[in-house]
Parts: sequence; structure tokens; C-alpha cells
Amino acid sequence: MIFTGIETLFYLLGIITTLFVMGLLKYNKELKFNALSWALLGTGSFLCIFCIAWSVSSVLEGVPRAASMGLVIFGIPSLLFLLLGRKVALKKK
Amino acid sequence: MTDKKTDNSSALNRRNFLKLGAAGAALGAIAIPAKAKETITKKIDEKTAGNFIKTHDEFPHEIRDDYKPHSNQDIMFTAGFWGFHPEDVDVANSGKQFGYKTFMHYEEKKGFDQLSKALNAGGWALHNNVSPLASQAISGSGILKWDQYRKKEGEFLPHHDWVNEHQYEFENKQEATNAIKRAAKLYGADLVGITKRDKRWDYSDFVDPQAIMEGRPEDSVYGWERFPFEPKSVIVVAFEMDYEAIATAPTDVQGAGAGAEYSSMTKTVYQMAVFLKQLGYQAVPCGNDTGLSIPYAIAAGLGEGSRMGNLITYKYGPRVRLAKIYTDFEFVEYDKPIEFGAMEFCKNCMRCADACPNGAITFDKEPSFEPTHENKDRSWYNAKGVKKYYMDARKCFYTWGEFGTDCGSCMASCPYNKPDFWHHRLVDKITAAMPGPVHDFMREMDQLFGYGEVGNLEKIDKFYDPKGRSYNGH
Repeated sequence: MIFTGIETLFYLLGIITTLFVMGLLKYNKELKFNALSWALLGTGSFLCIFCIAWSVSSVLEGVPRAASMGLVIFGIPSLLFLLLGRKVALKKK
Repeated sequence: MTDKKTDNSSALNRRNFLKLGAAGAALGAIAIPAKAKETITKKIDEKTAGNFIKTHDEFPHEIRDDYKPHSNQDIMFTAGFWGFHPEDVDVANSGKQFGYKTFMHYEEKKGFDQLSKALNAGGWALHNNVSPLASQAISGSGILKWDQYRKKEGEFLPHHDWVNEHQYEFENKQEATNAIKRAAKLYGADLVGITKRDKRWDYSDFVDPQAIMEGRPEDSVYGWERFPFEPKSVIVVAFEMDYEAIATAPTDVQGAGAGAEYSSMTKTVYQMAVFLKQLGYQAVPCGNDTGLSIPYAIAAGLGEGSRMGNLITYKYGPRVRLAKIYTDFEFVEYDKPIEFGAMEFCKNCMRCADACPNGAITFDKEPSFEPTHENKDRSWYNAKGVKKYYMDARKCFYTWGEFGTDCGSCMASCPYNKPDFWHHRLVDKITAAMPGPVHDFMREMDQLFGYGEVGNLEKIDKFYDPKGRSYNGH
């Protein structure tokens, strides 16, 4: 094995983060987010990335329960933030 | 026009792509080669750690004026194994039970079967062979001897365990500190700190089991007059215990995790003593003997005190074994005690008190100068007069007798006991920055997330599971 699980995770997190930023900028051009949209979508994106990081790390350390809890504690709020952010952004339009 | 339209569309033009590329590069920095990433994360870690780790000029626990150094006779092991405090029959019984069950008494019970006992015996083997009594707080055991031999002209001693007549002189104190700490790391220590010798933490007297065995009870206790020199400094070393082994508490697999580090620390402190002797200074290597390891470790900046009574280190939590080297070398930069919020967290947490099979750990909210447990009136084993949490070593030792191993449930359950992963370090730092009420929440979350469970025999399977391990290095 060349790369450890954690090294691979962080490499992929870099790509995922970049994709999130690109996505936000792309839709901002289209929908012109206001401050609330930015706040909601930014927080949602951060939580979503953190959720992936946490859950994969927990699986790697062999504590699957912590991974499941991570999906609940960070994943669900991230989805709510992203959906709410999307709603606010579309409503404005 | 068409071009302009395209510019305003949501599609990415070249300039935006470059901007995104820059942002992506910054955010994707985590995808850089591992070595560089390690350096960057270390830097970030140091920077953030600085905000949360406070240092103290003085010993961080309040000490009452009437505090007296602890006697070696009042250590639970010397009482349990060598007949001190004969009025406490229960202590002697716990010692007998423990001695009978350890390594030899197999049970048809997972964690206490022949495999687990064998693993435990192997873990302790080196310590038990070369310094068998150091773990029982007996000084000068085996290779951890007090002897400061001066080699005679022409004498050949390949072990180099003699004091060099020529004293090496370091350029400055920092250089000396760096050399000593690097040597400790080379010989196997995970953490190392240096502090001034402090008589408050030294045993006031010492027990001589040899005299007891030879039927000379009048010679069974001796004083500092036998110590070969006036110690000036104490080098304190800590050894990380295997996370998965400790997670199996309270079984013999956990005992093996502790024993393996007892063997490691015996080796390391002996090597450190020889290193100092060859520099031309006198040194005595110690395990649990000669002085109290935990206050010395606190003074040497290795960690904080805790509810369970163990040291909590910043990196490994309570999952460490401690040892020390007394030396007359004093041209060093001494470390300062640190504080990163562990003791504060203990006020609200109480996971160890919940996990203790025999209720030896107090549920008191605040630390105190005196023990508050039910055996407080016959608690000769507690070093009274220091503001801390007092655990009932009598009950703890009884549990050892029950299990035939050194339990470790408190260590395994502690929220500071985590494998070395980034998300735990992050949580530790957030916790340290948060006020008390948040600690309750953190404790609950720790439990909900599945950490610190004790008595789960599936953890033994996990300990042996080859998945995720590479035994052949591929």
C-alpha cells in the first residue's frame, strides 16, 4: 500500500472542498446569493465536508458507531443548511 | 455579443477558472505530499496548542502546610505484598488474591484464559526478570539499583554501568536539555520532562523486602541516608500503552498492555542512567519506587492530575506508564507544569467513576485536601494535604484481587484516552477552550459516539484482528 487511509481521505477532501467552492461560485453567478444564502450554504458545505472527514476517519480508526453518529450529528444539519440555503437563494430569484 | 453573453453565463471562463484554481490549490493543500503535509499540520497543531496550553511557574495544585512526604510503607503494594499495615487484613487478602491469580490462574473465560495470561506474562517478562519489585514501589530492584560504581584502572565492564570520572560539559542548559530528552526518546520514551528534585514527592523512607524475607523486620525500613548522592534533578519519562490493549479492560489483555510498557520503561530508565553516568554524573533509574511519579510528572510538564488519580497527558490522555531518573546533574532548563483543561473537564465528566467496577473513584464535584471516600478514616495510602481528587486505593486493589489483573477500566473509559487521530485532537482543543457546562455535553457525546466502553469482550477480538494491520510490512 502506498497511501494510508488518512492520506487518501485528505487528498479526496481537497478535491471535494474544491468542488464545493466551485459549485458555490457557479450558482452564485447564476442566482446572486445574499448574505443569508451565503451563510446557510457556506455552513452547510463546511458541515458536509466535516461530516465526510469525521465519518471516514472514525471508520478508519475502527469505531463505526462514531461514524454513524457523525453522519447524524454533522450530516443531517449539513443537509438542512444546504436545503434551506438553496430555498432562500431560489426564493430571492 | 455572443461572447459577452457567454461571459455572463454560469459557465466558467478562463479567468474565473484561474481564480478557482488558486482557491482550489489553497483548499486542496491537503493533497500535497505526505512529508510536507506532516510539517504543515505539525505547525498548525503547535500554533493552536499554544492557545490552549497554559504553563505554571509553581506546582499547579494547592498544597497545605501540614503536607508530609509519603512513606514507602503506606503504598498499597508494600502493604499488600510485604505485610505493612497488618491491621488491614483486607489489603493483605487482596495482595494474596492478586498474586495467586496473576499469570498462573487460567479461567475458561475470555480475557482471562491461557492465551490472555500468556500475553500478560510476556508483556511483563522483562520487567519481572530484571527489576521485579520496581512496579511494587520497591527501590533498587535488580538493574534499577542505586549503585554508583567507579571503574578501577584497567577494569573491563562492557555494560558501561559505572560513573565516568570525566564530566562532560554542555555549552548551555538548553543544549543539555535537548541531549537528555533526545536520548530518552532514542531509548524508547514517548514523553520526557525534566524537573527539580522536590522532597515533597520523594518517599520519606524505603522498604527493604530482603530484610523481611530474611526475618529481620527491624531492618525492613531505611531512609535517604543510603541514597548514594544528593539528587538535584528528576527526569520523568512516559510511555504510551497500546490503545486496543487498554480498551479490553478489565482483562489480562489490558494487563499485557500495561506490562509491555513496564518492560519498556525498565529498559529505558536503565539506559538513561548509564547515559548520565557515562557523561560523568550520578543517576538512579526508578519505576514506581523512590518517589511519587505523578506529582513529579506534573511538575515536569507532562500532564495534569485527574479524578482517577492518574496523570492525563496532552497526547495520550491517561494511557501512559511513568518512570523517572534521579540525577545530580542540574545544568538543564527545567520544564514547567502545564494546564490544558483536563482537571477542569474532570469536574463534570466522571466517566472513570462510573466505569470503576468497585466504586473506588470519587463522584465529588470539586477536588479536596482530604479523602472523602468511605474508607477515609483508614486511608494511610492517600497522600493528604494536596488539593486533588482522592481515590480509594483499598477498593481499587480489591478489584485487582478479584480480576487477577490491574483492571485499567478508569483509563479505558476516560474521554482523553483516544487513538492518535486528527478529529480527537480537534475535539480536545475545542473542549479545552469551552467553559464547564459544555463539558457535560462533551462527556455525553463521547459516550454516544461509542468511546470508552469497558467490559466489552468483543474488544479482545478487535485487539487480535489482523484487519488493518500489516505484519509483513507490505
